[in-house]
Amino acid sequence: MTRAFVIYCHPDPESFTSAVLQTVIRELRAAAIETRIEDLYATGFAPVLHRQGVADYPYYPGNTEAVRRHVENIQWCDMLIFVYPTWWYSLPAMLKGWLDRTMVPGVAFHLPPSGGGSIQPGLSHITHLAVFTTCGASRIWTYIVGAPGKRILLRGLRAVCARRTRTAFAAHYKMDSSTPASRARHLKKVEHVLKTFLAGASPSKKEVGS
Amino acid sequence: MRAMVIFAHPLDDSFSAELNRTVVTILRERRWDVDECNLYAEGFSPVLTAHERRIYHHEPDNIEPVRAYVDRLRSAEALVLVFPVWIFGFPAILKGFFDRVCMPGVAFRLEGGKLFPNLTQIRKLAAITTYGGSRWRAIGAGDPPRRLVTRSVRFYCQPDKLRYLALYDMNRAGEAQHQKFLRRVRREMTAF
Repeated sequence: MTRAFVIYCHPDPESFTSAVLQTVIRELRAAAIETRIEDLYATGFAPVLHRQGVADYPYYPGNTEAVRRHVENIQWCDMLIFVYPTWWYSLPAMLKGWLDRTMVPGVAFHLPPSGGGSIQPGLSHITHLAVFTTCGASRIWTYIVGAPGKRILLRGLRAVCARRTRTAFAAHYKMDSSTPASRARHLKKVEHVLKTFLAGASPSKKEVGS
Repeated sequence: MRAMVIFAHPLDDSFSAELNRTVVTILRERRWDVDECNLYAEGFSPVLTAHERRIYHHEPDNIEPVRAYVDRLRSAEALVLVFPVWIFGFPAILKGFFDRVCMPGVAFRLEGGKLFPNLTQIRKLAAITTYGGSRWRAIGAGDPPRRLVTRSVRFYCQPDKLRYLALYDMNRAGEAQHQKFLRRVRREMTAF
């Protein structure tokens, strides 16, 4: 049974990223996958890890108290889907801060006892990870810079998910010179990528909620 | 010479804070005019708003919401970033500095669809950082913060000198490693 948790990050409800989100939701519904959505801007998520957060950081579950709903959803799902614009080759600060505050020890990973061992994965229940984004830069320039945003999620975060986690990725490059045709083409691509991605996941029997 | 030192850690008694103090002290000893930009202490908001997103490409109106930071950045001849790596990247507060301040007309110019660097008065660029995990772990993920500094920020500044000083494996590093790294930072900043 697949449960998807969608993390959406864009300040403008009329943005193209919002259209990508709608496509993602439609495909999840069509596949009868139980879905929860977190709209970081709409809910006014505070992305800055402050003094108290740093002090509590190593101590689970106290370190999750301020972000309890988010952590519950992370632990509930087995599919994480990120929908966001790429700014400065990486995640918007809002989304980066969501990772800083929710992907804490006891949730995303387990710190080694002092003096030995290495970090152990904490998200081994997550078997599917997908990223849908837009980039102002071209594909070539994005890869010359090293696609830091994509790497944080599809390499860094993936390393603490299940060993054989399946991933999916689609980006609309050169967003600033996009046309209605290129945007429509990209939405088709998102649809296609998701259909293939979801074909390997089993649908849930429950109603699709939000 | 004027240096802007951007610091992104909330605790004054952290190792990051000690690195920041070391950098500022040494640069001042070397007669630099240092602009200390402590993002936490200044209460910097890293969240790009819907309004800012809409005017992002409208120069020069786009700088209005963050004019003070733009002026500080434009007057810097050296830029030093002092931060911990959290979840394979900059802390959100530092990432937001790039999202909100380093925009068209400030960090770069877009002319005929081409990208040109626009912070070329910055002749020296350094990042001083600490990673919780090992170097191999960072490389396994492609070391996103190193790439952001040594490729994108470097491109926008085109500096004569670039230093990326990193202490890996902070979770297991002892006092000896901390001291060794501090000595390295002192040495590099003295030569900076």
